[in-house]
Amino acid sequence: MQNYLDLFRQNRAWAERIRETDPSYFERRAASQEPHFFMIGCCDSRVPTEVLTGAKPGEIFTHRNIANQADPTDMNMLSALEYAVQVLDVRHVVVCGHYNCGGVKAAMSPPGRMLVDHWLQVVRDVQLRHLTELDALPTEQQQFSRLVELNVLEQVFQLSRTPIVRNSWLKGRRPILHGIVYDVNDGLLKEVVSGVDGEDRALELRATVAREIVTVPPTLHKADAI
Amino acid sequence: MVDTSLQKPWRHDVPSALVVVLVAIPLCVGIALASGAPLTAGLLSGVIGGMVVGSLSSSNVMVSGPAAGLVAIVGAGIISLGSLRAFSAAVVMAGVLQLVLSALKVGNVGYFFPRAVIRGMVAAIGVILVLKQIPHAVGFDVGYVGDESFRQANAETTFSTLGLMLDAVHPGAVLVTLTTLAVLIGWNRWRPWRTVPVVPAAILAALVGVVVSMLLPTLSPSLALDSSHLVQLPSSLSSTEWRELLRGPDWSALMRRETWGLALTLALVASLETLLSLEASDQLDPQKRPSDPNRELLAQGAGNLVAGLVGGLPISGVIVRSAANIDAGAVTRRSTVLHGVLLLIAVLTLPLVLNLVPLSVVAAILLFTGFKLASPSVLRTLWNAGRAQFIPFAVTLVAIVLTDLLIGVTIGFGVAVFFILSEHLRQPALRQVSGHGAVLTRFELPDQATFLNKANLERTLDALPAGSRVEIDGRHTMRFDLDVLQQLHEFTETARRRDIDYRLVGIPATVASPLHTF
Repeated sequence: MQNYLDLFRQNRAWAERIRETDPSYFERRAASQEPHFFMIGCCDSRVPTEVLTGAKPGEIFTHRNIANQADPTDMNMLSALEYAVQVLDVRHVVVCGHYNCGGVKAAMSPPGRMLVDHWLQVVRDVQLRHLTELDALPTEQQQFSRLVELNVLEQVFQLSRTPIVRNSWLKGRRPILHGIVYDVNDGLLKEVVSGVDGEDRALELRATVAREIVTVPPTLHKADAI
Repeated sequence: MVDTSLQKPWRHDVPSALVVVLVAIPLCVGIALASGAPLTAGLLSGVIGGMVVGSLSSSNVMVSGPAAGLVAIVGAGIISLGSLRAFSAAVVMAGVLQLVLSALKVGNVGYFFPRAVIRGMVAAIGVILVLKQIPHAVGFDVGYVGDESFRQANAETTFSTLGLMLDAVHPGAVLVTLTTLAVLIGWNRWRPWRTVPVVPAAILAALVGVVVSMLLPTLSPSLALDSSHLVQLPSSLSSTEWRELLRGPDWSALMRRETWGLALTLALVASLETLLSLEASDQLDPQKRPSDPNRELLAQGAGNLVAGLVGGLPISGVIVRSAANIDAGAVTRRSTVLHGVLLLIAVLTLPLVLNLVPLSVVAAILLFTGFKLASPSVLRTLWNAGRAQFIPFAVTLVAIVLTDLLIGVTIGFGVAVFFILSEHLRQPALRQVSGHGAVLTRFELPDQATFLNKANLERTLDALPAGSRVEIDGRHTMRFDLDVLQQLHEFTETARRRDIDYRLVGIPATVASPLHTF
């Protein structure tokens, strides 16, 4: 697809294909959506979650940003999350990362001068917290892939701390949080963490993501020394 | 204009006290007559209602004294106990009981009278005043002044008296009434001498009325008003009467059971009438100052204690005199106390002067007061307040006019409670908090989930479509009725059958069914 008009040609063909197999499909879907999944994915064009899971329209509610982040101050993500949890009553909230993620790669490199370099700060923090584990890996490609997984883990943890999810848990074990990674090399999904459905599982996750935080008492300047 | 009323209360309280005395004298005498008690007993109660109750009360404008509402109880009580002195013992005990009621904070029931009922009561008294005073205004002085019941002691009703009156119109009395009314209305509307600050219209009107009645015989002998049409104050007491009074109550009556029954009835009825009058006069007070009902019961108890000791009639708060007091511009309870003092002085020294006042003058003043209590603007205000206010108001009004104060208030109270309950029933039991078209329909229960919500709750739950997802949130609910809890939990089974995803949040378990978990 290169031509802008291709969008419309392909779309017509797609709609006809659907109508052939299921004539009333669009009429039924037009009224409402009732998805069971909320996916937070990466903007990367190789990772369209609906396509790679074979989902039909109406089955996955989606939010995508660079490096699939669930930043607890991001009103865009929070609005989508709140809608998914409170109105659509989704069963699963899934963070989906992918190997060879350009965002994660950029976070590992020296910062440039673009907006995205600010956005990726969280990924750099993740890298910093797991420096020992990452340094132990032999190749840079392995470190890269591991950071992709660790980033997904971090985002699931961040989700588990949001008031939206915690308030919903207070009322029952819903939604269930998951973290998965898509392998661009073989087209397959791989689980990083799954079944986070309450405060106790969230605390286990905390132990994993915060394993390497070392607290050192700060050195204080004495007043007369200044 | 700066309101100076609170800075110089005497300027308002002295004239209003004069008006209240003028109204109170025929009322006290009339009520004593109707009760079958000596006239002095009624006047003494008026004095005590002003001086004792007035100085202890927390109300600024309410006047207390012998009450029309107690006439039937007093009349029957004196007969059944055999003597006024025995009856006085019951009055003393009623006072003591009122002190106990005050200590037990029974006055708090005063806070629960629905507003519409109180306003209906006030308007009804206005209507009664007008209907009952018209005969006096035209010189048909048959019933006693101050009667408030529909069925009168003389076997006539309010309306039949109006019919009888037509044959007995006294042109002299009509003339006096019209002159008095003209001065009352004219003085308030035009106030010819605006610089003359505080001559209340009623005093001026009364003076004019008296002068006119004294001039009548010079116009034509047929217009002259004889003593039956004038205020009749007993002239000073003879020494035997004084001695009788000073002997005090007959304490031996306390050995008899019916004395205590009477004391209890008197205490309860007088307290209830007082609390109703208190609420009414608080509402009529232009400054809307609230009074303490328990303090009022204390004042009333003390009043009845003293009244019983000196052989007076039992006392309660009275609306007509209170309304006249407020109308005449009373600001503090100095007006009430002063009316007691003036009443005492008048009875001791001026019976002959007061006996010159025609009853039609008093009738004119009361007609004017009554019209103000039941004026069309009151009706309009209540009509605009909606059905739930107007119907209890109207029912109370009509019921009181056709029966008596307590029966009427009870009927009105029932109607008001019915409206309060039906308002509650209409209130939705569940508040939908999720937007239209949400997959998960979320409901919140109200602060109080009571049996009143049951019907509404049932309807909402039954209307849930099969296959829907519903959450009912009781986390903000402070109180659950067991009925509602069981209803909510029992629906779990129905929901399963109808394939409804039904979730209860923050709703305690009942013994019958454990908390639903997911």
